[in-house]
Amino acid sequence: MELELQSLEKEARQQLEALSDSAGLEEFRIRYLGRKGQFSTILRQLGTVTTDDRPRLGQLANTVKEQIEALFAERQAAINSSDDQSEDFSKFPDLTLPGRIPVTGKLHPVTQVMQEVCAIFENLGFSVAEGPDVEQDYYNFEALNIPAHHPARDMHDTFYVSDQLLLRTHTSPMQARIMETRQPPLRIIAPGKVYRCDSDITHTPMFHQVEGFLVDRHVSFADLKGILTVFTQKMFERDLPLRFRPSFFPFTEPSAEVDIACVICGGSGCRVCKRSGWLEILGSGMIDPEVFKMVGYDPEIYSGFAFGLGIERIAMLKYGIDDIRLYYENDQRFLSQF
Amino acid sequence: MKFTLDWLNQYVDTEGCSAEQLADHLTMLGLEVDAVLPLFQELSALKTARIITAVPHPEADRLTLCQVAVGDETMQIVCGAPNARAGLVTVVALPGTTLPGDFKIKKSKVRGIESCGMLCSERELGLSDSHSGIMELPEGTEHGQSFIKIMGLDDTLIEVDLTPNRPDCASVIGIAREIAGRLQRPLRLPVENARVSHNSRKFAVDVESAELCPRYAARLITNIKIGPSPLWLRNRLTAIGLRPINNVVDITNFVMMEYGQPLHAFDFDNLQGGRIMVRSPRSHETTFTTLDGTERQLTPEMLLICDSERPVALAGIMGGMNSEVTQGTTSVLLESACFNPVSIRKTARGLNLATDASYRFERGVDPDGVCNAMDRAVQFFCELAGGTAEEEGIDVYTGRLPFRSLTLRISRTSALLGLALDAAQIQVLLESIGILCKHKDADTLWVKPPTFRVDIEREADLVEEVARLYGYNNIPVSLPQVHLSYPEQDSGRLKRAAVSRLLTDIGFSEAINYSFTNEKHLDLLLLPDNDKRREVIRLLNPLSEDQSVMRTLLIPGLLENVDRNIRFQKTAVKLFEIGKIFLPTAENQQPDERIRLAGVLSGNRHGYSPSLHYKEEDVDILDAKGAVEYILRQMRLNIPAEDSLIDFHIPTAVELEYFVLPGQALLLRQEKTTLGTLGKIRPEVLRGFGIKHDVYYFDLDFDALCQITAAPKAFSSLPVYPAVKRDMALVVPVNVAAGDMLRAVRMHKDALIEDVALFDVFQGKNIKSGYKSVALSITYRSASKTLTEKNVEKSNTKIVSLLAETFGASLRDA
Repeated sequence: MELELQSLEKEARQQLEALSDSAGLEEFRIRYLGRKGQFSTILRQLGTVTTDDRPRLGQLANTVKEQIEALFAERQAAINSSDDQSEDFSKFPDLTLPGRIPVTGKLHPVTQVMQEVCAIFENLGFSVAEGPDVEQDYYNFEALNIPAHHPARDMHDTFYVSDQLLLRTHTSPMQARIMETRQPPLRIIAPGKVYRCDSDITHTPMFHQVEGFLVDRHVSFADLKGILTVFTQKMFERDLPLRFRPSFFPFTEPSAEVDIACVICGGSGCRVCKRSGWLEILGSGMIDPEVFKMVGYDPEIYSGFAFGLGIERIAMLKYGIDDIRLYYENDQRFLSQF
Repeated sequence: MKFTLDWLNQYVDTEGCSAEQLADHLTMLGLEVDAVLPLFQELSALKTARIITAVPHPEADRLTLCQVAVGDETMQIVCGAPNARAGLVTVVALPGTTLPGDFKIKKSKVRGIESCGMLCSERELGLSDSHSGIMELPEGTEHGQSFIKIMGLDDTLIEVDLTPNRPDCASVIGIAREIAGRLQRPLRLPVENARVSHNSRKFAVDVESAELCPRYAARLITNIKIGPSPLWLRNRLTAIGLRPINNVVDITNFVMMEYGQPLHAFDFDNLQGGRIMVRSPRSHETTFTTLDGTERQLTPEMLLICDSERPVALAGIMGGMNSEVTQGTTSVLLESACFNPVSIRKTARGLNLATDASYRFERGVDPDGVCNAMDRAVQFFCELAGGTAEEEGIDVYTGRLPFRSLTLRISRTSALLGLALDAAQIQVLLESIGILCKHKDADTLWVKPPTFRVDIEREADLVEEVARLYGYNNIPVSLPQVHLSYPEQDSGRLKRAAVSRLLTDIGFSEAINYSFTNEKHLDLLLLPDNDKRREVIRLLNPLSEDQSVMRTLLIPGLLENVDRNIRFQKTAVKLFEIGKIFLPTAENQQPDERIRLAGVLSGNRHGYSPSLHYKEEDVDILDAKGAVEYILRQMRLNIPAEDSLIDFHIPTAVELEYFVLPGQALLLRQEKTTLGTLGKIRPEVLRGFGIKHDVYYFDLDFDALCQITAAPKAFSSLPVYPAVKRDMALVVPVNVAAGDMLRAVRMHKDALIEDVALFDVFQGKNIKSGYKSVALSITYRSASKTLTEKNVEKSNTKIVSLLAETFGASLRDA
């Protein structure tokens, strides 16, 4: 056995000397050092030698194996380092190649902005509620203080389904629907699709709005200004100058339209803001006492404000989209940009 | 509402205030300015010029050779006008000027003689149709001056986008009142407190309903000479886009714009019986021809102005052809009235006829302003049309509204606006625009809204006025003091958001399509006549056929999107939509709005990743199925578990979706309920949408998925003992479903089987025809010990024999 060990050692040393590449290294490892390699085979024979010889032979076998292992490691290091410097690229990637990015899609920009808007109000403690797209005339108009034959109906180009049913022209019907079934205090936003029979370069017959309202005791116009100021600052991620302009909505009194300083020109006047330096972004106001009366709230006790904003408009301003028709063509070249 | 700066200055002095500043004041008062446009800009280069000498052109009889002084310069101009003469002050377009109609003036030679510009007629300047000669400016007009300045044309147009609550501002005086209040300057009214002496022997007025016509006043003007209006009046009208017609019509239009009171002039000689009747149509009066020459259908609820015989006008909307003022008119009956807004609106809507008059009446005209406007027009008829005002007139004012008086609480106003105001401040604000106030008690004002403010009816309206006049931007900013409560969120919406995110994570982009669609899509999808989805909600007034019915499926919209993307050379399409479909319920009831989740897949599986990284291979039905399985798994709807209630099924011929290829279709079911379908869309359906590529789809009832209870997240201990994997390749007849084999292994009650997976299915090489190889990998593990060869072998043998019995499977030779 001792002889066997010596010849194996000699053979292994010679083999190691001759090795020149990593394939040979691996072959060598398996042949001599592996679990079924020759050293293991010899070591297993230790059981067959006499008890007296066993410690000495065992030690010798281990020493030889360790020496060969050390030599192997040395040789391996030498071969690997020469490999590193060699011209053989096959084993190493070209790191200038693009990474393997998993293929993913995108949410529609309208959804993205809608989620952002909702998140801002949710963080302010507003709940989110949704309502039907095909709405009753009552909720879309009457309950919002817009009786039949009121000129304010001209502000809404309405799609009708029947005498009493229509496609909601705004998300404001949710004010009436919710107030009818719940008592103040209320802090609600109602996102959804709305429809107007109007289609041109700046209008699509369907678009998205978010309605919001807050009803409680002692709510003031100053509070409305406060909430909408927070909203625009968060939405546009900066302290944009804001202005409130008197306007008219039959379901709010006083009514206000809100302009932000033009995000394109910064207020100096450009094509987008029609040289005014301001961009209209939403309509708002204090909820009209008539609306409260129709749902059975006492306007002497409760006051509140409401606002409505168009998602497509905000997305256009935020992302610089210049053609509203792109929203509903679902061209992946468009969708992938956001 | 359009007006000019110069016009506005007739009623309020805006000295020191630029057009832009005025526009800003108006906008911040709630009268949103849409446009500020300098007028006659194209004439701004024109100069006044004096002809010094005029001699005949040596080579042409009709031409005159003029030496013209323009300021310090003198130039030679050849002119063809008959009135070109020495001493005349006229207007010159110098070389380099462009006249209306893109007519460029150049230095040129006319019959051999140099001409440095052009002397112009009114028509050449676009001011009128007059082309009888060059313009003759008043003697003594300085030459070398800006023509538009000298002529008073140097003006600015302002356009206000009026809200429906402010009909009082559909008049220049109304706008002036707001500006006067803002600038704290006096308002100058041409006519105030006019009255009509109520006695007329020449005509009578009967008003049938005071409710429909609260006030009707009329005056007779004789000796009228119809002719063109003076230039100033024509300029006022053209500036705001109205076409001058003749002096009488122009005056009524001017005064309507000035006072906001629509007026109508009848040719008195065409009114029969000396009588005006304000009444509904008689049963035989079914049509009426308005002065635009259109025959209108009358309905019983419309209001007419009639003479003793027949209708002569549609009250408050448009006059009739039969009583129109014409060139030969000499006597005019001038109407100034007030009509019921709802009645006018219904008629105007019914006839689809909106006029400047109906616009104002629909919103509410000041009943107390009727006589002022009439008086103003009568003065003009006398001044500008040579008329004689007959002393007598008629004023039927039977619909006078009771005296309006409101109270305004100071504390309430302050609380609603969030600022502290006192009674004196509020009084100053309101009175600046003519809303008179008196102190009632310490906290209350008596307020008398003026009659022209038809919109002020309640305390809330007054609070708005206070806010508006105080300035919205002067009101402080605060945050509401509210009680804390947890904001409940709509769970359906949260699930939609989560699933959308899941789908984008696996390469789908989100589409949003219109809720309305073309009914023809249902034909393209080959839906039979009795299919539920053919029962659609129809729009009564669609914009087009393409958007005429509410959708009952999401697939057509997505297929249109696929077509669009492929047309723009996007050959890898993965889109999904989560949206409502609309299913009719009962007549006149709101439809059932259900949310569905649908997706389409076409082209390269790996999207636009470089083919360096991924093989270019097209999607197939397993991509569609995989997407659905992924959603179910992520929603924790537990598929595929042994006792799963939700599973895929191969549809029978009756169950097959009409637009899907048989053999490439699956149903997703929960017990007997179909949750959705998926598969490969028939090529003939795709052709209908213009698509030549293969398209796979899935279409799920999202509301139903949300109803299913998700598996709770529960921990189970990690295994302590090692697993043993056994792979086996089995040969089975080709018609055996590999999925059934998997299910059989799973259903086989052997506690040691932890998992089973398919790792290969193939036919061909080394497999006899009519058979295929199905390779399974089974994982064995015990919770209590390390498995021995023997344990595993025992279980594995059982499985093999189970598969052999059930499916005729035999182990493939290694």
